[in-house]
Amino acid sequence: MRHDYLWDGSGEPDSEVLRLERLLSEFRSHRPAPELQPRPRWSAIAAAAALVAAGTWLASGAKPEGWQVARAGAGRSRLAVGETLETGAGGHATVNVGSIGYIEVDANSRLRLERARGDRQRMSLEYGLIRAFITAPPRTFVVDTPSAVATDLGCFYTLEVDKDGGGRVSVLAGWVSFAHAGRESFIPAGAACLTRPGRGPGTPYREQSSPAFRQALQNFDFGGGGDGALDIVLTEATKDDAFTLWHLLTEPRVFDALAALVPPPAGVTREGILRGDRQMLDRWWDQLGLGNAGWWRHLERPLQ
Amino acid sequence: MSASPVVSISDDAELARAARHGSRAAFGRLYDRYSRMVHGILLARVPYGDVDDLVQDVFLAALRQISALRDDGAFGGWLAMIARNRAHDYHRRAREWTELPDQIPAPDSHTPEALAALEAIRTLPDAYRETLMLRLVEGLTGDEIAARTGLAPASVRVNLHRGMKLLRRKLDCEGSA
Repeated sequence: MRHDYLWDGSGEPDSEVLRLERLLSEFRSHRPAPELQPRPRWSAIAAAAALVAAGTWLASGAKPEGWQVARAGAGRSRLAVGETLETGAGGHATVNVGSIGYIEVDANSRLRLERARGDRQRMSLEYGLIRAFITAPPRTFVVDTPSAVATDLGCFYTLEVDKDGGGRVSVLAGWVSFAHAGRESFIPAGAACLTRPGRGPGTPYREQSSPAFRQALQNFDFGGGGDGALDIVLTEATKDDAFTLWHLLTEPRVFDALAALVPPPAGVTREGILRGDRQMLDRWWDQLGLGNAGWWRHLERPLQ
Repeated sequence: MSASPVVSISDDAELARAARHGSRAAFGRLYDRYSRMVHGILLARVPYGDVDDLVQDVFLAALRQISALRDDGAFGGWLAMIARNRAHDYHRRAREWTELPDQIPAPDSHTPEALAALEAIRTLPDAYRETLMLRLVEGLTGDEIAARTGLAPASVRVNLHRGMKLLRRKLDCEGSA
């Protein structure tokens, strides 16, 4: 293997690199690990973080239209509204989304900036992969894909779009909404959701759900699997998959399967759920242990 | 350069998993393994005098949020994003509250030559300055930088070599001025 002193210190030392290493080592990190306080409840932290994000966002005011881009090998530049950013093989870029966060753009990706003003930050991802880290009120950051619209409801997620227009969103923290033609899926941390051209988003699922569950759900959503696929979904579902079943509450047997995992609260009836009573749906959602539906319901506004 | 332990992503993922389930010991080991990365990322963006405090902020933020991390193998990239975001917040809050000088003077213990070199790296594009800080200040190898930040090794290599080329040019110009 070729020696490269700058890469790993192997081979013939580069005198300038060596000089800088010696000079700069005095700035190296030396502080020991901090005293770590007991971990607060996640829900309390999430609420506090949301308030802080909302406060700083409101205080930041309007920003000039455009995003800053740092690209490997190309330095820093500015992406104006209407312009396209494309990374080739081996390319990579970090994009500053106004003052609300960052996205990392992987190799072989192509995106276009659609809007970059205040509480409206919007881009389209034609293909490729981005990792978004956003600290802003829900629905501030929106990504159009060929088959669905991904709307940030706060935090950290990965969005991938293939060249056929299909996509997948995977959420590490917070929530993402995936919507198309009146259908909207809410994807919590630890979950993912597929989308297909002409069909829109599928049903969100837990990334650690069983392979049989995920395969059957995909067959049901996109493969024409019908009742047989849904049977497998209902059989394989565990309590942790309850939010997936909640998204499928359109027929009696899903009601029964979800009720067996998470009993509906008093006053929530089969008839009400099957006719799509929103209050009853929300009240059942609140029993799933994923937070109160009210916060994202109340923050809903028409997509930009 | 100092020898560093080989980075094992699977080990780190296991530590992240344990930390996510409440193990303070595991989080402490992650601190040991990743504190140089966080320090370097911050040093590339904020005044030296504030870096240590911000490193603590980043790890405390990570500790609070780690229960929401679902891909344990992505811990490094996730932590790097928190660090970059924290640096961004630092500048935003500084603008909101008061006009700070661009560079707060570092303690007198640092030589003018070292401070000049640090400042020269800070003038480079983001991708280069962060990678060079991790290599030249924190002493990480290219493989370690890639493993910890989640960047592709090829990207790290490009950042190192192009960044170093720019840095040499900059230092030559300053030397001859």
